[in-house]
Parts: sequence; C-alpha cells; structure tokens
Amino acid sequence: MNWAQVLFNSCVTGSLYLISAVGLTLTYGLSRFPNFAHAEFMALGAYVGYWVTEQLGLGFPFTFIAAFLASGVLGFLSYKGIFQPLAKRGATIIHLMIASIALGFIVRHSIGEIWSWAPLFFRVAWSSFDVGMLRVTDIWLWLILAAVATGVIMHFLLVKTKIGKAIRATSSNPELALASGININRVTLTTWFTGAALAGIAGLFRAAGTRLSPLLGWDILLPTFAVTILGGIGSFYGAIAAAFIIGLIENVGVVILVNLGLSTEYRMAIAFGILILTLLIRPQGLTRMFRGT
Amino acid sequence: MDPLIYILDLVVFIGIFAIVALSLNLEYGFTGLGNFGKVAFFLIGAYTYALLIETGLSFVLCLIIAALLSGLIGSLISLPALRLREDYLAIVTLAFGEIIRIVVKAEHWIAHGVWGISVPPAIFWQGASFRMIIVTHIGLIFLCLLICFILVQLLTNSPYGRIIRAIREDEIAAATLGKNRLEYKAQVFMMGSAIAGLGGALFAQYIGYIEPYMFLPMLTFTVWIMVLLGGPANNWGVLLGATLVQLFDRGTKMVKDYLFVPVDPNNLQYILLGILIIFILLYRPGGLLKESQVKTKALEKAAQWKRHS
Repeated sequence: MNWAQVLFNSCVTGSLYLISAVGLTLTYGLSRFPNFAHAEFMALGAYVGYWVTEQLGLGFPFTFIAAFLASGVLGFLSYKGIFQPLAKRGATIIHLMIASIALGFIVRHSIGEIWSWAPLFFRVAWSSFDVGMLRVTDIWLWLILAAVATGVIMHFLLVKTKIGKAIRATSSNPELALASGININRVTLTTWFTGAALAGIAGLFRAAGTRLSPLLGWDILLPTFAVTILGGIGSFYGAIAAAFIIGLIENVGVVILVNLGLSTEYRMAIAFGILILTLLIRPQGLTRMFRGT
Repeated sequence: MDPLIYILDLVVFIGIFAIVALSLNLEYGFTGLGNFGKVAFFLIGAYTYALLIETGLSFVLCLIIAALLSGLIGSLISLPALRLREDYLAIVTLAFGEIIRIVVKAEHWIAHGVWGISVPPAIFWQGASFRMIIVTHIGLIFLCLLICFILVQLLTNSPYGRIIRAIREDEIAAATLGKNRLEYKAQVFMMGSAIAGLGGALFAQYIGYIEPYMFLPMLTFTVWIMVLLGGPANNWGVLLGATLVQLFDRGTKMVKDYLFVPVDPNNLQYILLGILIIFILLYRPGGLLKESQVKTKALEKAAQWKRHS
C-alpha cells in the first residue's frame, strides 16, 4: 500500500472540503440554518467557469474570477431576495431549510436547462508527474494552494479587519452586535457573498478534477455538512481541522473498503458515519470559537 | 393510451402520495419534526415488500411487515438527532435517504442494484381486464388511506394529539408539564415512518418494478410541497395538497406529450415547484386550509365563563 499517496490524496480531499465548508459554516453560524442550496452555489460556480473557459475561450485565471463572482452574487441575491424576507416574516428554521432546498431545485434545474444534464468536461489537460512514490496532478497542487490561500486570507479577514470582527461579533451575539452599532444587515450580506463565492471556487475545482454535472455540488454536500458539524457550526478554525480529518478518514476508509471488497460508493457513508458519531458524542463539534453559549 | 386508465393511474398516485403526506403531516404538521428523508422510509417499505412477496407470503402480511420495519428503522435513525436541535434532524434524515439508496444500489445481492427488481403482482385473477385490476388497486390503496387517515385524525384530536401539538409550540413548557418530549417525538417518528413505509409498499405493489433511481430526494421534496401547500396540521388540507401537486405533475407531463414548449417540461416542472414553495412560505405559510382549533370540554367551559362574565 502506498501510504504516502493516501496521505497526499487526503490533503487534496481535505482542501476541497475546506473551501466548500468555510462558506457553509459562516452562513450557518450567522443565519442559524443550514443552507442546502450551498450545493447549487458550487455547481453554478463550476458551470460559469466552464462557460468562461470553454465557451468564451478566456484563460483559466478568468475562470476563477467568474466562478467567484457568479456564485457570490447568487448567494447575495438569495439571501436578500428569499432568506431575509422569510426571516423578517418570522419563518421557522424548517421553513428556511425548505426554502433553501427549493432554491437549490430552481438553480439546479436551471443549470440543467441551460447546459443540459449530460456530463461535461474541461478540455484543459492537466499534466501529472511523479514525485518519488507520489503521483501528482497539477490541478491538485492548485487546489491545495487555493485551500491554503483561503485559510490565510479568511484568517486575516476574520481577525484583523473590521468587517471580519463584525462577522464574529454578530455570529456570537447578534443583539449585542446590533447594540454596539454594527450594521448586521451589511455583515450578513457580506458573509453570504463570500461564503457562496468560496463555494463556487470549490465547485470549480471539483469539476476540473472530475466532471461537470448539475448534481456536482449535491455529491459533496454531505461531507461538507459533516465537516461543518464536526468543526462546530460557525467555527472557521474548527472547519479547517475537520476538513482534513474527514479527508483523511475518507481516503483511509476507501482503502479499507477496497480491501474488504466493498463498493467505493460507500465513500459517502463514511462522512455520514462521522456525522452520526459527532452528533452522538460531541454535538457541539470540535471547537466553539465564535459562539458564546 | 386509454384516457380512462390515465385518470385511474392518477387516482392511484394521489392515494399513495396522500398516505405519505399524511405521515409527514403527523411528524411535521402536528409535532414540528422536520423529516427531510421521507424517501428513505418509502424506499424501505417498497423494497421490504418486494423482497417479502417473492418468498410467497400473503401480500397483506407483506404490507404490514414493510410498515413495521420502516417504523423500526425510523425510530433507530431518529434517536441520535431527536434530542438535538431541529436542523440536525433535517441533515441526518436527508443524509440517511442518500445512504440507503447507495446501499441498495451497491449491494447487488439485496435487489440487483441498478437493475432493479420486479414485484410479482398480488392482485390478479383469471380473465381480469387491465381496468378491473387498476380499480381493485384503487380500492386497496384507498382502504389503506382511509385507515391511515382515521388513525391520524383520531390520534391528533386525542389528548395525545394535544401533547404533541404542545411539544411543537413550546418544548420546554411541555417538558415542565411532565411530558417526556423525547419519547413522544420518537413515537411520532416511528409512526410516521411506518405509514410512509406502507405508502412505499403500496407503490411497489402497484408499479410492479422498483429500482434505486425511483427514490431520489425529489420525492421527499414533493411530499413537503403537498403538506405545506395543503396546510400543515390539517389532515384534509394535506389530502387537498396531495391531489393538487399530483394534478400539477400530470399536467406538466401532458404538456410534454401534446404540446411543444422551448423549455424541457421536466426542468420547468421543478423550477415552478421551487418558486411555488417559496411563494407559499412567504405569503401563505399556513397553507390553503388552516389548522383547526382544538376542541375540548374545558375549552367550551372557558368560553362559557368568558360569555357570562
């Protein structure tokens, strides 16, 4: 068994989950409901990226900017247009979750209508090379780099900048934040934009590594939720740790599955198992960085 | 296709989905439990029925066992999540629906994975016409629906129903009155899953062939629309919701068959359903039919006192 490869693959998986889960955990912590349309934020980023590179013929850096902006704007609009009005009318958490699923269906089937349900592929050929025993593809290196960049930038944003501090304050105590003169509305909208935009980047990487399908985000939504809950809802650092823990368990788990002669489709079940265990043993997750009670 | 059969088929589906919607109404409408994995229990019911009927058991027994097994698995799944916040229950049940489909798909020894499994017909006799058979199916399904409806209606208008409504309105208040909220929630979840399992078994029995891709999360979502549109905590409303959503579903399928539209009707259907649900939540969160007032002797007396004073 090539354990170095398993470790490297865990890093790649963890990086993907990190980028997708940071946005989810921040919006979940702030608006206090799990946004199931996060999956479609990922899918939209991937498809807009595809449109920019493959159909407009622009370079790959533009792809990232396009995916970031498109998903970010969708996140902004969906909060402004759906979740905020619902919350103002006193919708329960179940109503908000149902609305997010409904939004997911609207976006997913719109994508299916525009780009068809057949799988699409990026024509960019990724070069792969060997480092010692490792087989490395350059898109994976970009993914790890993007995850590190996300971690570092978000860390400075949350710790050093005014808006980051406002996000943390609102997340831990909205009333106190409001009383301290923080514009909660602006903070929430910024978070939804950033979270969705990061989801778009995650979707783009997922699509570049595998393929495009309207169900692309839905396929990794469950591990993303597992990361969010294991890390502790609303906790940025918890999500980073949880992303790599789940990445590792999944990759080791796949090796075990293969050795046991079981289908690798159970990969999803591994994340589900971690989710259930977390809820049973430590429902508050690894850390409670930003939330007081 | 024979237009009469088309209508009869629609009636069958209204019946099956009304049963599933009733089960969600018991869980969500009356108790406030957000079960986002309804499809899982529908699937368990369907596959249990399909596998049992092959062994030659009588189909009534198969229906009962399918319902009981769904109920059992439902209570097991709900336990880790019920004592936590409602969003955890939603995530766990949603994920469970996906996992159970993966298991059935990956384990070929259960039911041939993606190849699906055919269900031997239980309703068949010498010289029966296709119409006669469908009418018999309708009879069976509506009998089950009637039983479930009476059961849920009696249950929710009994002292038990008032307790679960109290848990929905204010868990802590219910707990201070000495009601074990976890126990009540687990019981409701078990009953809801059992009824959904019965719906799944009837579905398998009618369709005659099942495969994992019939049990996508969309099914759960459709049932949610039925409950939210018709009116949560109103059993008549849920019947209305099931009928309207099925009619809408058939309507868009007819459009596909007879009319030309530039948009794929399949996509359009889901986009419209999504928009519809957001509009319901925004402008009519109580659904079409409102929850009826609880009627008890004590309330009547209180009303009398109020009039006299």
